[in-house]
Amino acid sequence: MKTLVVISHPEISESGSQQFLLSSIPESESVKVHHLEGVYPDSQIDVAAEQELLKQFDRILFQFPFYWYSSPPLLKQWQDEVLTYGFAYGKNGHALSGKEFGLVLSVGIKESEYQAGGKEVFSINELTKPFQAVAVKTGMTYLKPFVIYQFPYMTEEQKMTLLIDYQQAVTREADDSLATREKWIIQELEKTPEETLAPGDELLMQHAVDLIEENRDTIDGLKMVLDEMNS
Amino acid sequence: MDQNEWMIQELERAFEMSRDYKQKALLAAAKRLIQEQTVRIQQMEGELDGTLWSPRNWSE
Repeated sequence: MKTLVVISHPEISESGSQQFLLSSIPESESVKVHHLEGVYPDSQIDVAAEQELLKQFDRILFQFPFYWYSSPPLLKQWQDEVLTYGFAYGKNGHALSGKEFGLVLSVGIKESEYQAGGKEVFSINELTKPFQAVAVKTGMTYLKPFVIYQFPYMTEEQKMTLLIDYQQAVTREADDSLATREKWIIQELEKTPEETLAPGDELLMQHAVDLIEENRDTIDGLKMVLDEMNS
Repeated sequence: MDQNEWMIQELERAFEMSRDYKQKALLAAAKRLIQEQTVRIQQMEGELDGTLWSPRNWSE
């Protein structure tokens, strides 16, 4: 699966959360980062090039700071100019159909405020309806939003969890069952660099993979017995 | 100590020894995953135990 991360942030080098996310992205040919303000500092978007780029990817993520319940202006301009009739929607406009589409939002306010009774009143799902509508209109599958609340207040442990969750949002298949997450972790353990491990721990990585697989066999076996007993 | 407990401790040790931030994050995630599997197995074993003792099956 190939993922395009379309970032819109006017001051990306000043943003701790964006820099953290950028450095978390796995170095892989199947992931491309596309920072709009970096590519188009004069806001003159090359529409044909953007449309060509979109066609090459299976998952498209919009990553931006949540400004006044929406994206920074260049991403809105990009949508207006790139997602055209005949390309993204309308008769013969099926270029995006069947792709996955998701949001990666950095938010400055705590999560619990985004609900009825909270200071922001509305949930992120309510506030991002226009993006969900874009997915519907263009025939893309809308993914669960990946929202980072108050990055500067995160502990080191929370940041490490964020790093892995974000990598999964970018590279893992959308289903988030335990079995799917096992597969992803196994794949990562198998390619983690040996040189930064303590001597001998490369064997531990293999052992961990074997154990995760054994546990999966146990879970599947138990499920079979339970299904049989409950049928 | 069972294998999962042992592995969790080993992953904690490897986490401390690793010299790469992303690798540390992965080792911590692998530990959490094995903990989640352990809980899942315990829950299913518990359910199996409950099913075996269920009055529904007494008459069979």
